[in-house]
Order: sequence, then C-alpha cells, then structure tokens
Amino acid sequence: MSLHLLDLLQNSAHAGARNVHVILIEDEANDLLEITVSDDGKGMSSAEQARVLDPFYTSSGHKKVGLGLPLAAQAAAMAGGSVSIESNESGGTRVAVSYRLSHPDRQPLGDVAATLVSFVAGNPLIDLVFEYQGPKDVFRLDTRQIRTEGEGQLAFIAKFEEKLRGGLSSAGYRPDRGGLFHEVTGRS
Amino acid sequence: MKSLEDLERLKEETLQDIRLRTSSGSPRIVIGMGTCGIAAGARETMLAIIDELKVRRKFDVTITETGCIGLCAKEPIVEVHMPGQPKVLYGNVDPSRGRQIVVSHIVNHKPIDQWIINVEDNS
Repeated sequence: MSLHLLDLLQNSAHAGARNVHVILIEDEANDLLEITVSDDGKGMSSAEQARVLDPFYTSSGHKKVGLGLPLAAQAAAMAGGSVSIESNESGGTRVAVSYRLSHPDRQPLGDVAATLVSFVAGNPLIDLVFEYQGPKDVFRLDTRQIRTEGEGQLAFIAKFEEKLRGGLSSAGYRPDRGGLFHEVTGRS
Repeated sequence: MKSLEDLERLKEETLQDIRLRTSSGSPRIVIGMGTCGIAAGARETMLAIIDELKVRRKFDVTITETGCIGLCAKEPIVEVHMPGQPKVLYGNVDPSRGRQIVVSHIVNHKPIDQWIINVEDNS
C-alpha cells in the first residue's frame, strides 16, 4: 500500500506541486484506514477527473496507459473501500483512498517511511507535511520545520528519515499489519 | 494580484529550480519513479543509492526522479550524469546494482558496460 502512496505522490509532483500534505489515519473504532494526499499542483478539469480511474487514460504524451490511480482504486475496492478525488482546474487536487481496516483483502501498509523518504529525496523542491493518526498516538512531520539553511541533500534526507521512523514507531505504526493472506505470507 | 512577498518567493523558487537543473559541476542521478518503476522496486533502489552515497561520503551528488520514459520492461531505470560526460542510462537496477553503480561509476568514474541500455551525448 505504501507503493500506491508513492504513486499518488508522483502524480502530485508531476502536476507541479510545491506543497504536498499526506494524512494517514488508522481508525480502529470505525474500522477505517484512510490515506489522503492533497497538493497545490495544477489540478484537473472535471472531464479529466472523470477519466483518471480509466487505466487507458493518461495525461502523458508518450505512453498509452496510466495505471497509478486505477491500481490504487482496485486495491481499495478489494478491501471494502473507495477512492474520492476532488480537484480544481485552477489548481489543487485532493485524493483520498479508504479501506476497511480489518478487511481480509486489505493490503498491509508496508514501509511508508521508505515511500516518503524516497519521495522527499527525489523532489527537493517540494515541501511535505505528513500526519499520522496511529493506534497509539498522533504524529506530524513538516519538512519545512526540519530543513536548515545550507545543509546538503543527503544530510537532510538522513535527518528526515530518522525523525520519520522514530515518530511512526512511537505512534504505533506496524508495516506488516494487514489482511489475512498478507499476514500469513508476510508479503508487502 | 500577487503581493510583493509572493513574487519574491516565486523568484527564489525559480532560481533554485534553475540552479538544480543546471548544476553541471556535480554528478546527478535520476531515478525512474513512474508506476512501472515503483512496481519494479525503484523505491528500494533509490534508498540503496542514497545509503551508498552516504557510505562513500559523496555529498555533492544530486538525486532527482522522473516519471515513466516508456521503457517499463527495463525498470528500475537509473540515469547517471557525470559533469562533462554523456548521460548514461542503466536498466534493471536493483538495490545491489544501484550500489555498484555508485561505487564504480560515480566514485571511480568507470561505467558498468553490461548494464547500460543507452548513452546519450548531448554535447
């Protein structure tokens, strides 16, 4: 599932976003898992929004398929959830993917930290805010707050990863927690 | 109408963007992070490359990413731009190959021929 998140983040980067906000909620009381990605990219027209879940629709010129959102939507549908997309042609898109937390076919979260680290590393011009409402605690990390003037890219990435992994684990994050099948095979 | 601060910020961002794209003095690594790249394991490759750069203390290398370039069967694809050299495209770069590319190509300036899928000379 963390790979679907990476795919959504790439969409934001591709839309020219400068600020991306990711919210991950594990809500045991309501049996809900929700991932929301909001960005300030170029947005989509309503005609485009209607087609993004079609695997044969892409905004890219040189390929014939666009599988990012359709695959995320399929994973959500398999686990009793759905995808909602709100976008404005003048800018800004919000994609929310929900799953039933306890659904046997719900994929495990996987390494969300690896996803966010690789995204932040590959997009040094994008500021990311990450919020996690875990089983134990709430955790928030803002790249603007930990970036310091004149520090190298690698030093920043290392610092980001350390804070992220620390925060996730104290909020009760478990990458392998997922549906029955995945729990048994340990695949993520 | 945008405020003066907005414009000032926009200018700074754009300048930063240009610096990033034209920083020809230092090596640059570009990793394919489209849906196909992600599915093929580009995330792990990128983390391995970052880690190896840290181990080798190559702090001057810039890492960026790109989308699908239409060669999905060869993903994860990694581009290496060394200053003054043609752009080299490596295919099927798993984390272990990623580490070896850092050591051989970036640190020791020896491209690994058998994994190269294209060399693009823009000069």
